[in-house]
Amino acid sequence: MYRKKIKLMPILFLLPSIALLLVFIYIPLIQNFYNSFFDFSVFSQTKTFVGLENFKVLLTDKVVSVALLNNVKYAIISVVFQVGIALVLAYILEDRIFSKIAPFFRVVYFIPVMISISVIALLFGFVYNPQMGLLNSFLELVGLESLAEVWLGNSTTAIYAVIAMSQWQSIGFITMLFIVAIQKIPKELYEAADIDGAGKIRKFFSITIPQVREAIFVNTLITITGSMLVFNEPYILTNGGPGFSSMTMSVHLYQTGFVKDNMGYASTLAVIIFILTALLALIQIRLSRTGKDD
Amino acid sequence: MKRLMSILVIAVLMLSLVACSSSASNGEKTSSNKDVVEINFFHRWPNEPRKSFYDQKVKEYMKAHPNVKINVDSVLNDSYKEKIRVLVSNDNLPDVFSSWSDSFAQNLVSSGRIMPLNDILAEDKEWSDKIIESQFSGFTFDGKTYGVPFTVDGKAFFYNKDIFKKNNIEIPKTYDEFIAVLDKLQKAGYETPLVEGLTNAWAISHYMGTIFQRVIDPAVTAKDYNEKTAEFTDAGYVKGLEIFKELTKYMGDVSTAIDHEAARNMFASGEAPIVYMQFAEIKMVEDQSKMDFGFFDFPEIEGGKGDPSELTGAPEGWMLSKNAPKEAVDFLKFLTSEETAYEFTKVDGQLNAIKGAVDEGNTSPAIMEAYQIVLNASKTTPWFDNAVNIKLADIFMRGGQSLANGQETPKGIMKEVQTEAKRLKK
Repeated sequence: MYRKKIKLMPILFLLPSIALLLVFIYIPLIQNFYNSFFDFSVFSQTKTFVGLENFKVLLTDKVVSVALLNNVKYAIISVVFQVGIALVLAYILEDRIFSKIAPFFRVVYFIPVMISISVIALLFGFVYNPQMGLLNSFLELVGLESLAEVWLGNSTTAIYAVIAMSQWQSIGFITMLFIVAIQKIPKELYEAADIDGAGKIRKFFSITIPQVREAIFVNTLITITGSMLVFNEPYILTNGGPGFSSMTMSVHLYQTGFVKDNMGYASTLAVIIFILTALLALIQIRLSRTGKDD
Repeated sequence: MKRLMSILVIAVLMLSLVACSSSASNGEKTSSNKDVVEINFFHRWPNEPRKSFYDQKVKEYMKAHPNVKINVDSVLNDSYKEKIRVLVSNDNLPDVFSSWSDSFAQNLVSSGRIMPLNDILAEDKEWSDKIIESQFSGFTFDGKTYGVPFTVDGKAFFYNKDIFKKNNIEIPKTYDEFIAVLDKLQKAGYETPLVEGLTNAWAISHYMGTIFQRVIDPAVTAKDYNEKTAEFTDAGYVKGLEIFKELTKYMGDVSTAIDHEAARNMFASGEAPIVYMQFAEIKMVEDQSKMDFGFFDFPEIEGGKGDPSELTGAPEGWMLSKNAPKEAVDFLKFLTSEETAYEFTKVDGQLNAIKGAVDEGNTSPAIMEAYQIVLNASKTTPWFDNAVNIKLADIFMRGGQSLANGQETPKGIMKEVQTEAKRLKK
């Protein structure tokens, strides 16, 4: 009798979260797969079954290739800056020399994370403004007028301008995660290295990196899946333009669905994004498992 | 005790879930406490002066009708188009909201959630007869009227009279003359003799709509703008896009990075001598600077098959949700009454479709001139992004940005349009 009740308890505890997950994640996910085989509009309730037609369109859609490439650029640059440089930043901030001023800098780096992305995007709109923008004015001030660009209006620079902004914003967050990881490293390791006469750079490569390996995996996972889903930054800054040069998959999805009112094809795009992120996550989880073993 | 607590917690959680879902379905208008009727009012002007104007009007109305509570919400142009599409797909559609005419309105109507207004218009002749009849056409589908037109508009090139005088420039009558004027202005030191904020997709569509209307035979556009017969194979489209491309050359590099508001500011500050703008913007320019400006219609294009005196511009108006309470109808009448309209034009400067609500008393001479142009136009062409299916319009608008950047050719864009048109017909 008593035992039975015990077994009921965990299920009861899980119920609310399972219900929430089902209603807000799994059922919409399955419904989305189902929708991707139809052609329909938000305005009408009728759906016409088109089979794999949407997927065929996907293969000929040249916006998709531009968007995917932009997502890849986003991922590569983000991994270099947010994981690579953030780790170096964290290591420097945790160094004994900076122990006095480190808390101040930690706050400085973390402030952008706390500002709403919409606000940041609007601010950077001013920074990149071709007529009175900070960036071009600065370049002019230091005598580099030749480098001044119409940052958001030029199809080659637009996507990089957008990426640069999100590096500025997110680096503090990843740095914070690395700081926590570095603080967990036993001090004895560093002391032993000191006795062996290792320098700062040696210690970084031989102690810090192997010790924060798990954190590196997790952060890479966060940044890469985040880059596949990036939406706010390009949407607010450029709306995918000029043309569709700074389009990302999510912006393309949104515009197909809510601007062009092509819900079926938008669902297809969502399926692709889901498969890509799920694959990436699987690969990385696999990789980080092997990391745990040794 | 512990167990009791946990069961309680779970119960609360489950209850809140249930409460969430039920409140979502109950939240549908007319909350019946104490006979206060709630009206959700959604418009597209979070910017001044209209925001204050409507806030003020809503306050006035609520004061006169204490049993009505009006919730106002507003978002700007392109975002409005997106938001209203989301809202119309479920039952949370606001009771009274603004809409463009033609295909934009038609899309909303096809959701089946918009109230047909024929009976309401027929019932209150005193009110409906005040509205200029011709403006209803953009809101009428299959003999049913779904919207009440309120503002009327037109598009023309605004030019800086002082700069024109200083450089001895006459108003161009033909497209070739227009290009000559732009060249002359560029030689005179104006980096961007013509300017536009090409990040605003609609601004591109306004250009294209006019150019296509001037260049292409109206019978061809009539066929192509209807998605069931669309082909877009006429050579005029390529020519039209080439004209657009030629014009963007005069807009400078900045044009693809700025919005229309920035372009208007450049005009008001005298930096750009010509901008293609709506009559609705006259007051904004007047408020910003003391400069003397005039306007001329898009010049005649040699060899064009369209009527060169047709005016691009379409009314905007109000729509009601199907489940709107009758108080919302009354509020709509209040919004489109002669007094409101008169004051609206006085505050905002935009012309309205209510008879007797525009005169010398509430406008400037420039606006009166524009009003005459609107009234005298042989015909009006709706905004291009409202005239064609949005999927096609999107290719044209994004293509326009790529054209300005030199990333795409007119022929490439038309090829894409043709494939999409074929797909739509299926």
